[in-house]
Amino acid sequence: MALKMIKPFIDAVTDVLPQLGFECVTQNGLTTKRKKIVASGVVITLGIVGDKKGNVVYSTSKEGAKKIASIMMMGMPVEELDDMAKSALSELSNMLTANAGINFSNEGITVDISVPTLMYGEDIELSMNKDEIICAEFDVDGIKLEISVALD
Amino acid sequence: MGSLKVMIVDDSTFSIAVLKNMLVKSGLDVVATALTMGDAIEQAKGNTFDLITMDMTLPDGDGIECSREILKHVKDAKILAISSMMDEEIIKKAKDVGIKAYLQKPVNQNELNASIQRLFEGDELYKILTDNYEEAFKESIFSFLKREIGGEIVIEDNPINSTATRKSSGISVTIGIIGRHNGRCIIDMSDDTSLNMTRKILQDEDQSIDNAIAFLSEFTNVVAGNACSLLNGLNQSFGLRVSPPTVFRGNDITISIGDILSKSYKIKTNLGEVFMNAGFQKVGNEWH
Repeated sequence: MALKMIKPFIDAVTDVLPQLGFECVTQNGLTTKRKKIVASGVVITLGIVGDKKGNVVYSTSKEGAKKIASIMMMGMPVEELDDMAKSALSELSNMLTANAGINFSNEGITVDISVPTLMYGEDIELSMNKDEIICAEFDVDGIKLEISVALD
Repeated sequence: MGSLKVMIVDDSTFSIAVLKNMLVKSGLDVVATALTMGDAIEQAKGNTFDLITMDMTLPDGDGIECSREILKHVKDAKILAISSMMDEEIIKKAKDVGIKAYLQKPVNQNELNASIQRLFEGDELYKILTDNYEEAFKESIFSFLKREIGGEIVIEDNPINSTATRKSSGISVTIGIIGRHNGRCIIDMSDDTSLNMTRKILQDEDQSIDNAIAFLSEFTNVVAGNACSLLNGLNQSFGLRVSPPTVFRGNDITISIGDILSKSYKIKTNLGEVFMNAGFQKVGNEWH
């Protein structure tokens, strides 16, 4: 059941990222966490409603976020997490979640997604309103990207 | 819709006359006509039209090319293709170039009316939303705090610029809003304020931070949910629903809030200060 919830997101990452110029996308782990997650760096959350209801959170380190934004902007150097970089990351979260939504709909599950909210900081404690959260960890050209899904 | 200005682009003067009649009957104002692609592009550059109807066959080009050129200069131009040709390939091309809808000739009045209504419905709904969401969220948070916390509740506007970020006071809850247009609500307060409010509501001094998080999570859920219900009451087509809350807690969290049209508020209560940000993003009209 848990796998069924995160599979559309995993497929979205492996489908979408190569199209954006990322070369090597590998999934490293799949874990189940209880309620609270601690993250440092950049976290982006989107709400999901429809046949399934919940949230998805994308997280990566601040350095990782800058590298991702840079690759998305055709290799433009990103020194600071400025508006352009934040906008690129929000857009990435939109694309991934929308793509996961399409993957869900191929299985007959209809979901809609909200606009993303981006936050950054150190030791951010995350609670996602569900006891069990499924997390998938990816290595994207050497950058660690984590996806946490809490869906009912 | 009397104030909507239309330009008709068609290579046939007969078609222009027919369409003009129908558009006037739909309540639109036909202010320009063009028989060629060149003329259409010139007029689109120099004037503002709310709607452009576009034939697919033009003497000096085609409707796709013409639309592409117009959209280069007028990014948000609403173009409605009206042509005798209509097949999957041309519909796909039209969609890709940015044409908003496609009708086949001969067009009947009902079809035209429905199509125009759909094209402008999103805009009208978005305006109702932008005119009313601030009041809805303010009213919602005010009544919750008044009822549950009591005392004096003062809501102040907290102006932010379009690229704003905000330092979290400690606990930040975000809720996604999904419907005809999508949005989000963020409520932020310190650990202390959250604990104070939890103690007051549960009438029990012995509260853990986990209880405070659970309170804030539910508080945000009720505020956003009630505000969305108020808005849905204004127009059923909004169909706004809220996603479950996500809670962020930490000493050093920065929230990026300038990415969508939103408003921020500082709410002063006897038990501490609350920050709220709510906003929406326009979702384009679906293709029909």
